[in-house]
Formats: sequence, structure tokens, C-alpha cells
Amino acid sequence: MIDLKRRNRRPLIAMSSMSDIGFLLLIFIMLISLINQRYEEPIEYPEAKLLEKTQEKDNLEIWIEAGGAVSVEGNRVTGEQLELIIAQSLAETPGIRVHVIADKNAPYRHIDSVVKVLQKLQLRVVSFVVKEEL
Amino acid sequence: MIRLPERRKIDDPGSSGALNDLSFILIIFFIVIAGFNINKGFLLTLPDAERPRIVQTDDLVKCRIDAAGTVSIDGNALSVEKLENLLVEKKAKWPNMTFLLIIDEDCAWEHVVRVIHEVRKLRIENFSFKMDGERR
Repeated sequence: MIDLKRRNRRPLIAMSSMSDIGFLLLIFIMLISLINQRYEEPIEYPEAKLLEKTQEKDNLEIWIEAGGAVSVEGNRVTGEQLELIIAQSLAETPGIRVHVIADKNAPYRHIDSVVKVLQKLQLRVVSFVVKEEL
Repeated sequence: MIRLPERRKIDDPGSSGALNDLSFILIIFFIVIAGFNINKGFLLTLPDAERPRIVQTDDLVKCRIDAAGTVSIDGNALSVEKLENLLVEKKAKWPNMTFLLIIDEDCAWEHVVRVIHEVRKLRIENFSFKMDGERR
């Protein structure tokens, strides 16, 4: 007689490859974090509820601290230097979007000084960066 | 009696059940990271310094904001809620209304943002701003 009794095998899930995948994930996260690194000045963002996405493909960020210090890409700049940087950026990338990121406690005169430079360079559309109020 | 060779059932050693979870985690991570570096705010058109626009006085709403952040129209101080109501009324009356914000040089940026937020909320297209004491 044929022995038709089936052996009850317990299903096996190989977990050995999971550690490899875990490591790949880790490397991936580390790489992405490095790529996504962004220069930030220590400022307190002003908040608002109704915002729009102002990010473009090419962006230039102008940071204004509460004390009035203006910086671009980590370098403190004067009004003349700022004008030069914006003019150069515009010449290299005509469609560049300028973002003004000012501290919420910064007196308006500091923002106005940057706005004047932008107006002088005929840069009309400017993004004023604000954090979303939760 | 014929003995049939026992068919071996293939175990699934490379079960991909956990891979789905992993890929979802990866997607979530991607979305979260992508959202970090996006600037949000107000996209404003700066007034042309060389060619000032001529606006009818009826269409112009002059709003001042002092160093303490108090908003006033025609010398009357207003709360942001009252400003909103007033602008709704004015916009209904004069759809081409131009809103001019005159900002004190010592006014904190957050107060200015508050007013800009109201203007954007009410979709006032003609919006201009300048620092108090300067000519435009």
C-alpha cells in the first residue's frame, strides 16, 4: 500500500537576508540625509496658517536674523555684497527664485533693506518664507 | 506496486512578506524627507520702485502698522479680526481695491506677516507695502 500520509512540514521563512536589507536601508537613509542637508540660520520663523509652496527648481535663500545680520549660503553679507550675489545668481540662472527668510522678531527695516536691493535689481516676484502654523 | 516518487513541495525560503513593509517604510521616509526642505510662505510681487502706479483715492486703503504691531486704518486701531471684516466690506464695495501697508521701521516681522496673511486670505490682488517715511 502506498503511504499517503503527508509529512507536516513547518513553513520556513528565511530571515538571513533581512539583515542585508536592513543595512542597505541604513546606508540609504544616511546618504539621503547627507544629500538633503540644508544650511539653516538660527532664526525663529514667523507663522501663518494659509501658505503656498514657493519652492522652485533653482532657489536663493537670504536669511535675516533678529539682530539684522543678513547671510547667504552661510556667509554674512553687506548690502553691496548681497546685490552682487543676487546679480551673479540671476546671470547664471535667470529663473532663480529668491526666498527671504527672516526672523519673526527682526525689525522691518532689515527686511526693507533686502527688499530695496531686490527692487533695484528688478526682481519682482519674491518668496517670503513663513512656517505653517499648526 | 509502483512507488511514485514523492513530489517535494517547495518551501518558500525567500518570503517577501516583510519586503512590502520595508518598501512602505522607505516610501514614507522619502515623502517625509522631501517635505523638510520645501519653502512655504507668501509669493509677493514687489512694487516697482521706478514706475509708481497711479491709484484712485477711492480704491486705496491705507493701513498702518506701528512698532508695537498695532494695525490702524485712518488713525483707528483695529484688531486683525476687525481688519478682516473691514476689508471684506471694502472689497465688496470696491473690487479693484488697492491695499497699501505702511510699516514702521521697528515693527517686528511677525506682525507684518499677520497682516499679509489676512490680505492673502481675502485674495486682495492689489497689495503694496512700504516702510513708513519713505516715498513711493
